[in-house]
Amino acid sequence: MVGFVARRMLLTIPTVLGISVVIFLMVRLMPGDIIDVLFAGDVTATPEIIEQARAQLGLTGSYPEQYWNWASGVATGDFGDSYRNAEPVADILWRALPITLELMILALLIAVVVGIPLGVVSAVRRDSASDYASRVGGLVGISVPNFWLATLLLLFTSRVFGWVPPLQYTSFFDDPLTNLSQFALPALSISVFTLAIVMRMVRATMLEVLSQDYVRTARAKGVRRRLVVYRHALRNALIPVVTVVGFEIGILMGGAAIVETIFGLPGVGYVLLQAIFNRDFPVVQGATLLLAVTFVAANLLVDIVYGWLDPRISQE
Amino acid sequence: MSDNPTKDTPSEGHELSRRELLVKAGVVGAGAVAAGSLAGKATAAPSRVGATPKKGGKITFALEQDPVHIAPFGGILTANHWGKEPMYESLIEWDAKLNRRPALAESWKVVDPRTIDFTIRKGVRFHNGKEVTAADAKYSFDLQANPPLPGSVAVLGQFPSIESTEVRSKYVLRMKLKKPDARVFGYLAWTRYSAIVPEGMYQQVNAGREGIGTGPFRLVSFVPGQGVEYVANPNYRKKGLPYLSALSLRTLPDEQARIAALRAGAIDGATLSADGARAFQGDRNFVVLRGLTAAFRELQITQKPGETKPWHDKRVRQAVNFAINRQEILNRVYNGFGEYSGHVPPGYGPWPLTRAELRNTYLKHDLAKARTLMRQAGFANGFDVTMSTFSTPLDFGQVAAVIKAQLDRIGINLTIKAEEPGTFAANNGAGRFEWDLTARGMRGDVDGYVAEFNPSSNAYKAWYPGFKNVRMWRLVGNGFIQLDDDKRLKMYKELQKILLDEQLQVPLVAVTKFQVFRKRVKNMYVAFSDFNTGLKTAWVE
Repeated sequence: MVGFVARRMLLTIPTVLGISVVIFLMVRLMPGDIIDVLFAGDVTATPEIIEQARAQLGLTGSYPEQYWNWASGVATGDFGDSYRNAEPVADILWRALPITLELMILALLIAVVVGIPLGVVSAVRRDSASDYASRVGGLVGISVPNFWLATLLLLFTSRVFGWVPPLQYTSFFDDPLTNLSQFALPALSISVFTLAIVMRMVRATMLEVLSQDYVRTARAKGVRRRLVVYRHALRNALIPVVTVVGFEIGILMGGAAIVETIFGLPGVGYVLLQAIFNRDFPVVQGATLLLAVTFVAANLLVDIVYGWLDPRISQE
Repeated sequence: MSDNPTKDTPSEGHELSRRELLVKAGVVGAGAVAAGSLAGKATAAPSRVGATPKKGGKITFALEQDPVHIAPFGGILTANHWGKEPMYESLIEWDAKLNRRPALAESWKVVDPRTIDFTIRKGVRFHNGKEVTAADAKYSFDLQANPPLPGSVAVLGQFPSIESTEVRSKYVLRMKLKKPDARVFGYLAWTRYSAIVPEGMYQQVNAGREGIGTGPFRLVSFVPGQGVEYVANPNYRKKGLPYLSALSLRTLPDEQARIAALRAGAIDGATLSADGARAFQGDRNFVVLRGLTAAFRELQITQKPGETKPWHDKRVRQAVNFAINRQEILNRVYNGFGEYSGHVPPGYGPWPLTRAELRNTYLKHDLAKARTLMRQAGFANGFDVTMSTFSTPLDFGQVAAVIKAQLDRIGINLTIKAEEPGTFAANNGAGRFEWDLTARGMRGDVDGYVAEFNPSSNAYKAWYPGFKNVRMWRLVGNGFIQLDDDKRLKMYKELQKILLDEQLQVPLVAVTKFQVFRKRVKNMYVAFSDFNTGLKTAWVE
């Protein structure tokens, strides 16, 4: 198991390096750089002023030179400074990361806590009314875009209850209730898709497991149905679900970017979107790298958990 | 839409007319130099006539864009100024109708065309208690000339030709210009880049997150991505103001979120689109304010040597102008709100041509005349052309679609190319386009709307290197250095008529800005400058 974890961890290094190159190039290859955006429509700007601005932002070196400066900085925790407000990118991300992490954790919690029981019930009571309701609900959950649901929830609560989540971010550690009331709707908005996936996956794998011989044997030996379902079937059915949840983290992060903007939560996604519009390269690079590393780390964790749940994998 | 009676901001003493300003500047009669710009009417949005203003209370206003930072100098985004506007002032200010008024300078004197003396108002104090002096003004102008981070030197195009400033006495600042530059007074009154801060402020505080000004509100906190908190400045120089005891600016980029927050009472006001504002129409708990801002849409073309494009023929450009039905654009894209715009937007003080001149003569929709002109130019069967525009905001694409249909009637086959804003900006700046559907915004001085027609400008070299009109060139150049407002006004009127005859840029329409407020908010108005200046003098029931 230790060797398996070590191999997996080593593999993340070239992955992250590759990602950093791709991010750097993609940002640079976007047509129109920060200078174009800064001077857009300014007919009074002289070439001297434009060159002065380029120098002020450190945009004078070649791409390899710029990449090296950035990558070597990142290795020491220095992501550079924002072009827009000169603030260290690390500070910006450090401020935004807890918001996005909390949003994703809450969304995952909702998805798992609601999705797994729904999937189990749906599988155990196959073709019943509750099964059909769950399946239809799952279909709707997969089909509804999270930004649309977020907007709908916001308008609904404001219209019906005269309430919207608090506008100013409050840390969970400062005021847990206010914090949770702030995150409830956004987390629900982005969790619905994952919830539906989890529910459908649990249902499908449970159906498969429940038809296995060992389950039938357990039942024949007189083990109670509830014990068979939860102790024998569910544990085995959860293995593919863990993989799916790992992949869903990426989707949750994508959804978080839009939903954070809708709810005015200054998380990493919100910061990233604003930075893209502003061509704030250091922030775009830093935020994208952070999201990518989070995704890689989540998948690493999934691999490790997978190996733990099914020892055959770590022995291969 | 609610369109309530108008009442402007509470006056601070008497309001100076343009002539009074000139007298103060010591130029009337001498006729040598004048104060610059922007007296006269602006189309400030109506605000509600209230009873006696009440002191106290707080307004929470939603910003549609994050300020990113609130440094006084070198802010690129309009949102930068939204965030810092309540705390900073300049030597001169505009009122709601763009009348220029003394602010931190109680008067000024134009000593000669390159020298201006400003007398600082005595007894005005910064939020830290320090009295404002000429030394503070000098410090501020030095930083404006070279904005430190987090500001950007990219704004220096707006900085007038100030060579140096000199402290003549505790309250007198002498400003030396590199050359006569009529933009100085508009630059100061705009306040966007011309705040006066205490000497040494950048060494005392983190200017991107903190600030010390003289404005009606004192900064409490600024958190990027979230908002700005202010409390009233009890020592504000305008007695009785501000009425509010606190002001909160919250960043809410999503319009539906702003609508929901308004309905839930989480915010008191916000800027909305026309469609968003319509949702509050007839709701007794809200008031919808509207007004023109300096933002207008225009069709831009390129004319380069070596190219033989149909629109190099003036008759073709004129045909395009006459084929465009601006009222149809307003009706179909902007729900009927907005106004025809010349090269200087309507509402920009005395400078634009009159509504009648634009509607009845220069921008009149006349399809028959357009067809005749096309025929005379040898393009009776039209031609193909690509017009680039912004992919967002959405109205650009909609205006482009209307124009395409209109020009189709004179045989012009328009291909619309929607570009991401950064791409559009890059191509536009480099002149890499045939036609561009673009937009303009607020400028401190009227020159900002015609500067690209100066043949020595960067923009002219990129867009019109193959074009020549000596009269136009002279008017642009002379208007820049002419400090006598009356003479200047005549020059810019003539220049606009030449531009509307040449149609190098085809101005289209000025758009209306909508703001919705809870009914308890009084005395608010939509500022022509696209700032939220009315918040400084608003009050709540």
